[in-house]
Order: sequence, then C-alpha cells, then structure tokens
Amino acid sequence: MSIKINDLSVIFKNGVKAINHASLEIPKGIFGLLGENGAGKTTLMRVLTTVLSPAEGTVSLDGMLYSEGNYEKIQKKIGYLPQEIELYPGLTVQECLEYMGDLAGVSKELCKKRISCYLEKTSLTEHRKKKMRQLSGGMKRRVGLVQALLNEPEFLIVDEPTTGLDPEERIRIRNLLVDFSENRTVLFSTHVVEDLAATCNQLAIMKKGEFLYSGGMRELVEEAKDHVWLCKVSQEAQARELERKYHVSSKQFVDGGVQMKILCENRPDINCMPCEAALEDAYIYITNRERIVIPELAG
Amino acid sequence: MEKEIKICLPFYKIAYSIFFIAVLILIRGLNFTFEIGVALEPQLALLAAVFCAETYVQEITSGRSEVERLYPMKNRMIAIFRRTGIQEIYLLILSAVGYGMFYVVQRPISFYSMPSFTGSEAGLFLISMAAFTVTLVFWGIFSVLLSSLFRNMWAGIGGCLLLWIVTNSTIGDRFLGKWNLFSYAFRDVEDRGDFSWVCGKIISIVVSIFMAAVLPKIIKNGK
Repeated sequence: MSIKINDLSVIFKNGVKAINHASLEIPKGIFGLLGENGAGKTTLMRVLTTVLSPAEGTVSLDGMLYSEGNYEKIQKKIGYLPQEIELYPGLTVQECLEYMGDLAGVSKELCKKRISCYLEKTSLTEHRKKKMRQLSGGMKRRVGLVQALLNEPEFLIVDEPTTGLDPEERIRIRNLLVDFSENRTVLFSTHVVEDLAATCNQLAIMKKGEFLYSGGMRELVEEAKDHVWLCKVSQEAQARELERKYHVSSKQFVDGGVQMKILCENRPDINCMPCEAALEDAYIYITNRERIVIPELAG
Repeated sequence: MEKEIKICLPFYKIAYSIFFIAVLILIRGLNFTFEIGVALEPQLALLAAVFCAETYVQEITSGRSEVERLYPMKNRMIAIFRRTGIQEIYLLILSAVGYGMFYVVQRPISFYSMPSFTGSEAGLFLISMAAFTVTLVFWGIFSVLLSSLFRNMWAGIGGCLLLWIVTNSTIGDRFLGKWNLFSYAFRDVEDRGDFSWVCGKIISIVVSIFMAAVLPKIIKNGK
C-alpha cells in the first residue's frame, strides 16, 4: 500500500491556500508527518480521508485515483483517528465500538472478535464495561485507535494522537502505532519531534502548506550536520544578544553561565564548538533555514 | 436499537421534555376535552424541533462525523432515521401521557356526556394522536434537516421557531386555512364532521417525505 500525492493544492472558501502544490509519496510502514500548528497537516489528512477535495493535483492510493467514483472503495481501505473526537459518552467502551463497527458495515461476529483482539492489544479489556465519559484522555485515544482499526484498514491515519497525554500514555500510543504499522501504512501526524524519533524511519516536514522535507530520519539529521554549535556565555545579556542574532534551539543555565545550542549555516563569530545534531535541531534547521542561512534576519 | 436509545435519549432530554409537558398541563387552562389536542399540538411541534435538532449535529460537534464519512452512506442514514424515529416515538408516548394527565389535573368537561353529541373520548384521543404523529414527524425531520444543513443545532431550532411562529398564528390560519401545518389545532372543534384539517396533515406528510429524501444529500455534502 503506497499513497502518492502529486502537486496537491487545497484552497479554502475564504481563499486561504492551506496546501500549496505539495507532492509526496507515503510508503508502507509508519510514516511521520511533522509540522507546526497550522502547517497544513490536518488539511492533508482530511484530503486523504476524502473529507476535503483538492483544488488542484491528484492523490492516489495503490494506484487508485481519489475521485468521486472511487471514494467508496478508497474509504473502505482507510481507518482514521482525528485530532479531536469524542466517542459516544453515554455508551460503554464495548457498546461504542460495536456501534461504530456496525456503522462501518463490519458484521456483528467479526466486529466482536476484532474488538476483543484490539482491546487486548491496547490493554483496555478490563475497561470494556466502563462508560466512555469515565475514561482518561489516554484511554479515550486508545479506544479511538481501536475504532479506526475495526474495518482492518490498509491505510491508517492518525492525527496528533499524543497531544495532551502524559509521558506514559504517549509512549503507549506510540508503541501501539508501531505494532499496527505491520502490514499496513500508518500516517502519524504530530508536532512533537520526539514522538517521531521514537517511531518512524520516514517522515515529511510541512510548513505553510508545503513539504520542506521528505525522506529518512537519518538523512534529515544529516542535513543539520555542521550547522549546530554549542556555546557558553557568562552573562544573560550576552545570551539575549545571541538569541537576537542567531537561531537558538536550546538554552539552559549551567555552572558559571548560560549554555546555548545555536543553529547557524557557518561557525558563529563567538567562542563555540560544533555539536552533534539531534532530530529536533534538524527540524528547526529545515523549517527556519532562510533565517539561519542569513542570521541578520533572525529576530 | 438499545445503543441508539442511549445515544439519542440521554437523561437530560427526558428530564426537560417531561418538565415541559408537566408545566404545560399545569399552566394551560382548559374547559373541554376537545381543547386538549389544541393545547398540545403546537407545543409538541416546538418540543420536537428542540428535541431532534442535535440528532445529527452531535456527530459534527463531537468530531465523529469525520470518521463516519468513511462509513457506507446507507448505514449512516439508517442510524439518523432510526434516531429520529426513536425520539419521535418517545415524544408520542409522552404526548399520550400528557393527554391523559390533562384529564386528571384539569378535569375538563366532555362534550360526549351531553345527549346532543355523538362520538367518544377514545375516538377523539385516537384522532388527536394521529394528528400529533404527523406533527412530530414533520417538526422532527425539519429540525434535523435545518441543523444538518447549517451544521448548527441552534440554526435548526431557530428556523423551526420562525416557521412555528408563522404557522401557529392567526395570520397563518387566515392565509393557509385547512392547508396549515397546525390545521388540527385551528379546526372548528364544534363541527364534528369537519375533517378538512387532514389537508394540512397531508401537506406535512408530503413535505416530510421530501425532506427525508433530501437529507442524505445534505449529510453527504457536509464537510
């Protein structure tokens, strides 16, 4: 299962171009979609789930073109967990999943089997009789994930599933996504870099409706190599001056001053040393490259 | 079906609908039994509009509609019609209970106890229930249609309220007459043989069928 997006543009009714001539290929396995809030990730997912129609460009799923005539076939292959969803609060977990399975057209017996299987995998079996409103945020997200899997989709789309969760739940959700990416394509959208670092090998970075990068995680980190610098200043005023002049990806107080990680195309004109790039540095580098290349523009 | 009942008949809706009918029984004074239908019908229409407005909109506000777009349209429509039906059946039962409670609380005089009148209270009750059924179906589906179209529950309620004000008025009665949606409430109660109010109910049924046919298109096109 692979998804090809070719020269895609989405324009809202108010004229805002949410996606601007974007092209991407999503291979089998888990694929990360990274970008700041408002980058166009959710819009892209809404196109992939057939909620929105593109103004220009094409999308195809395993060679099947997204068009009105193919929507029904495509929809059967997709499972979706939107960023914000409130599943029926008055129903129990079991009832809610049975109801949604029924709506999805999954036969009752098969649905019950799948519910048992996925509740087991998501460690929710003991909570199956609890009402949806009684569950924690993380549990609700896991039920949402089970809901998305009821029709055994070949393409699973999850929009920021870890937002607002505690670290333990985030790790659990991430691990589940990796488990579920076996034999299917999972598109995992987030603005949390470490979520992708822990789950994906392939990712795309979006900003203002465009793909700034798509490819492997290692290659992304490689892009920022030799552009990350570590420096230490003794006074906070100096630190502020550096922040004004350069793109600072991290800052912390240490003994005798402030330690800063600077992203700069060339060695900054201060006392500093090259530093190994992390995924977060690479993401900041890619999304702010123009300002980093010409530091005078920073601030 | 049990799950649908839980979804569309939460406790708060049952509570406010019972309270609404109870208040109506207490404050709406009437002298004769034939006035019960007149007293209940327009209020039931309003109750149905408010009650059914969130039938589909709750899927939009909760974000579930985004997921349900992937499901077969037929299954989605069956669920919406089933929910509307359940709510209308509940309101019909409530209206029957309310009808009976008017007897108990207000003790109205029955025309049929007078020798010059033929017919029975049971017959009057059955005719009223038939009229209520059509009223509930019309206002329920009209509310679902408007709120789904504007993707807003209040737009559904507001639109229904506008039509309700127009049709449940002397102007509405004067202009529409026997074709009025509330023809039963405006009928000449003393003329026992006058069934011209059925015309208004036929109009309600025809428009309801049309609205039910249009609803899937609105749901499908809703982004």
